[in-house]
Amino acid sequence: MTVSYEHRLLFRHEGPLDMEVLPPIVQHLDKLLAQEGVRPPLRRKIISCLIELAQNIIHYAARHDQMVPLITLSRTDEGIVLITRNAVYYSQELFLHSYLQNLTQMSREELEALHHQTLVSGSYSDSGGANLGLLQVIYKADRFEYELTPVEGEYSWFTVKATFLTKSHE
Amino acid sequence: MSDLTTSEKLVIEPTFTTPEIVFDPGNRQFYLRGNSYPENSVKFYGPVLEWLSRFVQNHVPTSESLTLEVHLEYFNTSTAKVLLDLFRYFEALQEKGQPVQIRWLYLAEDTEMEDAGLDYQAAVKVPFELVPLHEDQA
Repeated sequence: MTVSYEHRLLFRHEGPLDMEVLPPIVQHLDKLLAQEGVRPPLRRKIISCLIELAQNIIHYAARHDQMVPLITLSRTDEGIVLITRNAVYYSQELFLHSYLQNLTQMSREELEALHHQTLVSGSYSDSGGANLGLLQVIYKADRFEYELTPVEGEYSWFTVKATFLTKSHE
Repeated sequence: MSDLTTSEKLVIEPTFTTPEIVFDPGNRQFYLRGNSYPENSVKFYGPVLEWLSRFVQNHVPTSESLTLEVHLEYFNTSTAKVLLDLFRYFEALQEKGQPVQIRWLYLAEDTEMEDAGLDYQAAVKVPFELVPLHEDQA
């Protein structure tokens, strides 16, 4: 996956992320996407995915002084691209890789069935999560890509790129 | 723990990340409105589910239907799961003989919210109405 900055960058946050920082970002991006002419259904889809990815970072990212979270939103010819990047531990990398490989190979019907099954009979994580966040992003985005890049010792970057096509929502 | 009477209501003021919640049996008003993406949904909704549990336990069924209205804008996946737990209490009320219904309000063109409503409609055993709103109503 290539993280390109050739597109028109609409928003960039690089720094600590918590529940103090997230709501103003959500509010700002909602307004910004409206100004960009993005219709409410797609706007809500993008913001919902941002919330899931950001809350995953808040709950599960590895804490590292130099490896702070990144969120960007860009406009491209085909639509809106949401990128998040955060540090993970090697143990999380192994889990994420097998989990996401499995999810990204599923059809929409299989993703729907897994979502329903997890919603109805799944358990909550220690942080109160429903273990549905990444599944939801994969299901909602028109294109989902991820990359796990070892950086140093026990850490890796976990980058997610979710593309939302504007044409299909016009 | 005190008995829940019809005068005891639950009111939670909205924040940018949590909804306004009003469960007011005296005025037969039950609704959730706004955003719901708290840092920990289990913790946030814990007192709400406790309130409902006591309400179900103490409620004497009436012939008049109890309606829960849910009108959310943004909600995270952990809220999605808690909502199902919350709806189960309305199933329990129905099992006690209390007529109930749930109304799911959403922006008419928002197919994601409509799909979420359809998911719940299929998962719960109480009358569940999807109510599409136009942009000036949402």
